[in-house]
Amino acid sequence: MADKKDVPKHDVIVVGAGPAALTAAIYTTREDIETLLLERGVVGGLAAVTDKIDNYPGFPDGVEGLTLSDQLRKQAERFGAVIDLGEVLAIHDEGEFKRLETTEGDMLARAVLIATGSDYKKIGVPGEQEFYARGVHYCATCDGAFYRDKKLVVVGGGNSAVQEAIFLTRYASHIDMLVRSTVKASDVLQGELQKFIDDGKVTVHLGTTTNEIVGQDNAVTKVVGIDQASGKKVEFPTDGVFVFVGLMPNSQFLKGSPIDLDKIGFIKTDEDLHTTMPGVFAAGDIRSGATMQIASAAGEGATAALKIREYLEGHL
Amino acid sequence: MVKNITIFTTNTCGYCQMVKKYLGAKGMTYDEVNLDEHPHRQAEALNLSGAMTVPVTVVTMQDDSQEVIVGYNLARLAPAVA
Repeated sequence: MADKKDVPKHDVIVVGAGPAALTAAIYTTREDIETLLLERGVVGGLAAVTDKIDNYPGFPDGVEGLTLSDQLRKQAERFGAVIDLGEVLAIHDEGEFKRLETTEGDMLARAVLIATGSDYKKIGVPGEQEFYARGVHYCATCDGAFYRDKKLVVVGGGNSAVQEAIFLTRYASHIDMLVRSTVKASDVLQGELQKFIDDGKVTVHLGTTTNEIVGQDNAVTKVVGIDQASGKKVEFPTDGVFVFVGLMPNSQFLKGSPIDLDKIGFIKTDEDLHTTMPGVFAAGDIRSGATMQIASAAGEGATAALKIREYLEGHL
Repeated sequence: MVKNITIFTTNTCGYCQMVKKYLGAKGMTYDEVNLDEHPHRQAEALNLSGAMTVPVTVVTMQDDSQEVIVGYNLARLAPAVA
């Protein structure tokens, strides 16, 4: 471990650079609180790889996820936020400072905001891992272009699944949506999807589980599921599968730390968004009880920034 | 020593932006093949990477050896262009 005096010190380190993180940074840096964001993936988080966001306030015609992320980044950087690429491996409480072990070396911060968000869940069926990125995908905006005039299966029935299925219609010749129970997407998204169903471009299979992804010669050829009403096996010939079945928390780096997680792995906080480690806060999708909405994440980012300011004022 | 860098991208890919941003921050130039604009080059990206995804970054060294990096993978991209 490096001597403390050699380790870079920051007022606030924000772990992640999605909407919660960037909003928090806008608030802290406007208050002249020096703030470093550490991002291991894409600035903007899941929002940046979402085709279109229709429910973020202030954009009457919707906004591309990449555009919103870029605008948030520019706004945070305008006030002095610094975004570095790097991954946090562990957080240790050393009193006045928290020590963060990162891929770029150790760093110290008076306060930390964890805003690492979440990633799409796997379904955990045979073939999913084997054909990953060669027929099984979790990012429509990244990989959809490989399926021009091809048949696709989309697994899931929530907002993300419907939104991404709609995006994929610009490439695919036909999409079978496999929905384990019922479609739970918003009415607006369902209305939009209906247009593609009416055009014969999308077929929704309700009450259908996804049990196996089958392929040969390095390519996916079909998805095997069960029609729960009849109990019968059903097969969907396809060239690729896109999976959107919910989110899992990006909290692996906190396993074994004194920061309490719920049973799924989301971070527990109090009403001030304070975790069980003093001086460490959490906001956005990573927080237990979060609503998984970009607008909520931004709101929590603002709240966390104000609570961090209070915390820092009490610990100077 | 890097001779040239080619990145296969699409218009909507957030991870592609991150690769371009990383190389831009390092002052490195690169050629971009946008598969939305040049769909006939998809097979080339697939053959190079073995994956139906972007970004695919191809780093060609002075001795013409190549490193192919799939996705936004800093652990491989950073040393490849160092």
